[in-house]
Amino acid sequence: MIYALIALGYTMVYGVLKFINFAHGEIFTIGGYVSAFTLLALGVSDSMSFATLAGCLLLALLGAVAAPVIVGLVVERVAYRPLRGRSRIMPLLSAIGVSIVLQQLIILIFGPTPITMPTLKIASAAVSLFGVRVRVLALAIIVISALLMVALSYLVRSTRIGKAMRATSQDMEAAEMMGIETDKTIVFTFIVGSALAGIGGLLVLMYYGSLKFDAGFLYGLKAFTAAVLGGIGNIPGAVLGALVLGMTETYGVSMDLGLIAWLVVAGLVAGLYVQMVRVPRHRLLHIANDRRTPDYERRIMNVYRLAPYHAVKTLLGERTDALLSVSASHAVRLTVGNIFLAATAAIFFINGSARIDTRWQPVIAFVVLMVILMFRPSGILGEHITEKV
Amino acid sequence: METILNLDGVSMSFGGLKAVDDLTFDVTRNEIVSIIGPNGSGKTTTFNVISGLYEPDSGDILLKGESVAGLRPDQVHDKGIARTFQSLRLFSNMSVLDNVLVGMHSNSKSGLVASMLRLPSVRREEAAMRARAQEILSMFPGRFSGPRQSQAAGSLSYANRRRLEIARALASDPVLLLLDEPVAGMNPMESHELMEQICDLRDAGYTILMIEHDMHVVEGVSDRVIAMDHGVKIAEGTYEQVANDPLVVEAYLGKRSAHTAS
Repeated sequence: MIYALIALGYTMVYGVLKFINFAHGEIFTIGGYVSAFTLLALGVSDSMSFATLAGCLLLALLGAVAAPVIVGLVVERVAYRPLRGRSRIMPLLSAIGVSIVLQQLIILIFGPTPITMPTLKIASAAVSLFGVRVRVLALAIIVISALLMVALSYLVRSTRIGKAMRATSQDMEAAEMMGIETDKTIVFTFIVGSALAGIGGLLVLMYYGSLKFDAGFLYGLKAFTAAVLGGIGNIPGAVLGALVLGMTETYGVSMDLGLIAWLVVAGLVAGLYVQMVRVPRHRLLHIANDRRTPDYERRIMNVYRLAPYHAVKTLLGERTDALLSVSASHAVRLTVGNIFLAATAAIFFINGSARIDTRWQPVIAFVVLMVILMFRPSGILGEHITEKV
Repeated sequence: METILNLDGVSMSFGGLKAVDDLTFDVTRNEIVSIIGPNGSGKTTTFNVISGLYEPDSGDILLKGESVAGLRPDQVHDKGIARTFQSLRLFSNMSVLDNVLVGMHSNSKSGLVASMLRLPSVRREEAAMRARAQEILSMFPGRFSGPRQSQAAGSLSYANRRRLEIARALASDPVLLLLDEPVAGMNPMESHELMEQICDLRDAGYTILMIEHDMHVVEGVSDRVIAMDHGVKIAEGTYEQVANDPLVVEAYLGKRSAHTAS
């Protein structure tokens, strides 16, 4: 769920500038580092009174927002604005460069060892929810992400600056000539995105207790994936994408292969239903009425119902007429699909008791991404800041 | 008569090409001035220079006596110059009403925090802006009524998109309205209707500088016509004067025709 906060930043910058801010992950790390540094400097510990503790955390939050915002502004000014209006690859390269520079800067300032925050009770406190123990912090992350998502959606949809953002995103020059200060609008976008990343940094730090200088890379990459998954440029999409990604990562590894095998079988059954009932019906719609004799319809149906038989027949070169042979080659492909699914299920059943290693986590995440993008190239909720609402 | 716009020896070149060459002209209050000229004669570049997209290489642009040359496009817009585009540039994913509201952007003052919290002052301002936007849209009777206003601008017909561009430009109550080929691609009936509406705008007090190829429209609305060729002003005056100017005929039809004409 933490991906959501970072993904929101990616999505916002992309939504307005049509450009992927690869340095966003590092901005997130900076947020975490600065808040950890603040907490360490203040000497936070559980012996402090609740009020002081809350004050210190607030101060850390302030640092976690302020530092990334400043860095974000500088990066925008120095590395992105001069390249605006050039080809798209240039700011992209610049962003990758900035990402490396920031990472090295973190090492230079804080050293290469992971920064660790003082252990606090509230960071590890847990409550029992429907019989499951859940960390309060995890709940807080979910609530905060959801609230920020709603606030952001509202910001983009209904406020003056939001309108300016949408206009800038669609046609920067035209927006400028309609009296919108595009530079200011873009700066604002970076401020919001960086602040969100900073908050994300603080929360991750509190959740895991420590942060490494290159943490931003993987978090950034996954948040980016989440943003693409939900439809990049789309605010609720980023949160949904993060949710889907987080879920698949968590549950993907805790599922054993036997379960996956059953899922494959379910897919196979659904596929067979589609193949035997829906597809022939659909094909019949495309056949002229005068040819649709009951006999002909039955033959078309048979091609799909007895797909393997017809597949073999087609491969042997026994074709009847043109239309049927189109259906028959269709049947060949369907058969291959069936065999593939059945084989996968069989393999998984054989290894039924084996579990997927956590090392497979990123792989699962990216397989999910590939599958979703194959069927919905614009992401789950579609692209663009403006299209959805 | 008060001078609204004053171009004083404006030149603009791209590499070796002088797109606009020492251009000087005035537009006075409540006047419709048309710029004509063959393709590539520098008309749209002139518009782009006026609206701040390019900074002129030399010369000055005065709006009500105040220089606007070298300002950013949004600053020029704030000074009171609004424009439409030859190739439509609406925000096509935004609704019709939102497009007009974007045009009002510089007139609205509400800050971020206030608008996030929906303070009463913001709500009042927004309601006023919506009312004004609807009033502007009602200038085109029947074109943007009721549910059309919440439709995406991209789903409108071509002619309606042209009208919406004009509405969006009007939204900021500009001192000077720049129309870049407002009737391009419209059928004769639609262009005639729009012609009348442009005249209505002048009667309502707007000052208009317009680029147009449709001579029928130019004849119908212009108080004055400026002809350009190769970035240079070649003629200025009433429609009749300009249309019969041998240089103009030559620019459009070539040298030989100019001789036979004269």
